Amino acid sequence: MHPAMFYLAVVWLVALIGASALVVIAARGPLVRILALDTLTLLLIALLTLFAQATSAAHYLDAALAFALLSFIGTLAAARYASEGSLFS
Amino acid sequence: MLAWLTDLIIAAGLLIMTTAVYGMVRLPNLYTRLHAASKAGFLGIIPFLLAATTTGEPGIAARLLLITLLLTLTTPVAAHAIGRSAFLRGERLEGSGSIDESGHDLAERR
Repeated sequence: MHPAMFYLAVVWLVALIGASALVVIAARGPLVRILALDTLTLLLIALLTLFAQATSAAHYLDAALAFALLSFIGTLAAARYASEGSLFS
Repeated sequence: MLAWLTDLIIAAGLLIMTTAVYGMVRLPNLYTRLHAASKAGFLGIIPFLLAATTTGEPGIAARLLLITLLLTLTTPVAAHAIGRSAFLRGERLEGSGSIDESGHDLAERR
């Protein structure tokens, strides 16, 4: 990957992360916030994968895997809490 | 040569991710935003994971396979959980031309 493309992709992804964070802040109701946080973690996984490709280091992908797992569990828990009122029925 | 291929794949991934975030920002409705975020988001991260395989290290490739598998299995479940939670809360279908066929009258009255 050329360095110019790497910098462009990082800047672009950070801009997308900022847009997603704006949706988290300016949303009405909890469910749009949960969705925007899930999208935010997906964008962070993309950023980490970009770094892993650029530096040929595998430990960034460990962090990306942890992000994916945590965001999944958090989305399920928050959505269930928003509708049922408690996590365990 | 490999660098150009990686650039192309990452550019495609960026385009699809931009569509996902743009849809999430601009669509009027939780349900339509869910469409954009889950479908376009998952489609958009696939090129990034694919482009990272060009480094050729087996450790990286194994981890990428794991991440792809995890995302494939968990993205629909998370999207379904959010949609179900929205329906149970009675989130309204705002936006012109919304039709609600569930009988719960969630669309806006026009």
